[in-house]
Amino acid sequence: MREMTRYGLILAIICAAASASLAGMNSLTRDRIAAQAKAEEEEGLKAVFPEAADFKPVKSKEKVVYYQAYGRDGGFLGAAFKARGKGYSSVIEVIAGMKKDGTITAIKILNQNETPGLGNRVAEPEFRERFSNKRIVDLNGIQAITGATISSKAVINAVKVKANQVKELIGDEK
Amino acid sequence: MKNNLLVSAAPHLHNKESVSKIMWLVVLSLLPVGAAGVFIFGVSAFRVIILATASSIVTEGICQIISRRKVTVLDGSAALTGILLAFNLPAQAPWWLPAAGAIFSIAIGKQIFGGLGQNIFNPALAGRAFLMASWPKYMTAFTAPLNYDAVTSATPLALLKEGHALQNISYLDLFLGRRGGCIGEVCVAALLAGAAFLLLKGYISWHIPLTYISTVGVFSYCFGGRGLFSGDWLFAILSGGLILGAFFMATDYVTSPLTSRGQVVFGIGCGLLTAVIRLWGGYPEGASYAILMMNAATPIIDRYTKNRVYGYTLKAYE
Amino acid sequence: MNKLFHEFFKGIIKENPTFVLVLGLCPTLAVSVSVVNGIGMGIAATFVLLGSNVIVSLIKNTVPARIRIPCFIVVIATFVTIAEMTLKAYSPALNRALGIYVPLIVVNCIVLGRAEAFAQKAKALNSFFDGLGMGVGFTLALILISAIREFLGAGKLLNHAIFKGFEPAFVFSMPSGALLVIGLLLGFFNLFKRIKQ
Repeated sequence: MREMTRYGLILAIICAAASASLAGMNSLTRDRIAAQAKAEEEEGLKAVFPEAADFKPVKSKEKVVYYQAYGRDGGFLGAAFKARGKGYSSVIEVIAGMKKDGTITAIKILNQNETPGLGNRVAEPEFRERFSNKRIVDLNGIQAITGATISSKAVINAVKVKANQVKELIGDEK
Repeated sequence: MKNNLLVSAAPHLHNKESVSKIMWLVVLSLLPVGAAGVFIFGVSAFRVIILATASSIVTEGICQIISRRKVTVLDGSAALTGILLAFNLPAQAPWWLPAAGAIFSIAIGKQIFGGLGQNIFNPALAGRAFLMASWPKYMTAFTAPLNYDAVTSATPLALLKEGHALQNISYLDLFLGRRGGCIGEVCVAALLAGAAFLLLKGYISWHIPLTYISTVGVFSYCFGGRGLFSGDWLFAILSGGLILGAFFMATDYVTSPLTSRGQVVFGIGCGLLTAVIRLWGGYPEGASYAILMMNAATPIIDRYTKNRVYGYTLKAYE
Repeated sequence: MNKLFHEFFKGIIKENPTFVLVLGLCPTLAVSVSVVNGIGMGIAATFVLLGSNVIVSLIKNTVPARIRIPCFIVVIATFVTIAEMTLKAYSPALNRALGIYVPLIVVNCIVLGRAEAFAQKAKALNSFFDGLGMGVGFTLALILISAIREFLGAGKLLNHAIFKGFEPAFVFSMPSGALLVIGLLLGFFNLFKRIKQ
């Protein structure tokens, strides 16, 4: 029994030391990590909505639903949003911008792990540009990449579903 | 000649066959298929066949020289691998595609394991899987049949996978090879002629092809249609690389089970896997992957389907 | 001095963790898609190895043998978390590319293996050089594998295209390609060893 207590004590001391050093490390890096995440977010938003100067996140229960995009003069331009879709071998994460009349400005693939050479071509400009200036109803007509139908359809559907939701939300707020 | 593939206890009779003779006879049986491929897809098909065969033989020679083994490039096995690989390629493949495939087939698929008789996987199919994973764009660009201007066309199975309805393609088209596809898989008539020759001469047994093809047929009939028992079984059998795979690849001596019981298991396994990949998998055609997977299962099939040695009970033998 | 050099250099060739000890293959297979990833993973693992080796060898007399494994794991996990935080703060892109494999350094057999087989029996300074040598050996192996894979699988090296008109073989970007490359390299290393003998 005494043996057990000794073991427990030693382990506890080691754990305490580990926690202390991690807490210190966390306070050193916390701000920088948050800043990096924010910078990345902004970069993504800028990429899909170049005309907008300012983005305001619209939240519901702490989760960002979409971002409202405002122009240089402060006028409301539209929205940017993230969407996810199940591709061939991974979940594809995509960010898209949409003007207030419901045309897509641009999309960008944030995360994907599709088959190299086939599915991962959804991240290439050639495919992404097919979305530019398309209305939501026209999204179905976007041509899939040859040999990568599943990945292409995943992106198209994800954008379409989320765009419809966001469109309604924008409408409500006006 | 009926039981010449059976492995049994000694004494054995030597029947004057040699590996080399069998290999060259199989090559001979593939001649009509090659001719049909060239007729359907034009001279480019011929170029692919020659390139793949030549690269196979050269790679085999180089590997054997490097590893200081006896050079046996003329025993026909390398040539056969090259031809079978070419039959699994589209006719418009760029020149380096058959060459790279053949080098992989022979060097990685066969010689690394120790040469003829030692390889686990069918070398030609290993080469095809490598090419398919490496250059899918070139491996799925098929030319339209009987159209020598290199117009591309999808295979019937690929069309079906993408949800298109199949029109203007009859069973006769499929049988004679008027469809897009790999060089050696399209002309079922020629394939059957070659297969009949091998079967009649007793170089392959009926167990694997028959069980393989009928399993695909039955499975497609049961689950391939909109409801149960409404699938198009004849289409399933005639399309894709099933006939080529069943008669010429799945029956490879080295990578398939030895006993007829084992071969039946092997054939059914291939059939199930092929049908499952076709119906629910990501690729339109699954024959090559099905055979490769069953190749991997061959040692264990052999283990459980050994023939009883005379004088031993089954228990004592194990 | 000579002894320390020996501890350092043995990790690079004679006891290379990847090709000779064949340890830590999981991260090797997973992240060796590009040279940048390989270097990043190598440096992170080296940092963890150094830290855990030194600490383990310092606490070796205090820790009773029966609970040494949980103690070592806590030490290792601490260093891994520090490495992950640093990566997140200074190179989020690399952190995303390495993904789950940064936290998984905790269970990398090289780290625990060295703690068990070396650090808990050796002086702190020797353990430091052992960790450094193993880390460098692991990093070099990763660079070699990832260079081959990036070149063949994407036609690039360090994200720069090498040849015009080269058709990359995508299989090398996939897990199966990693197995092929590592298998062949292992074969060559064994061949090399046999010739030397």
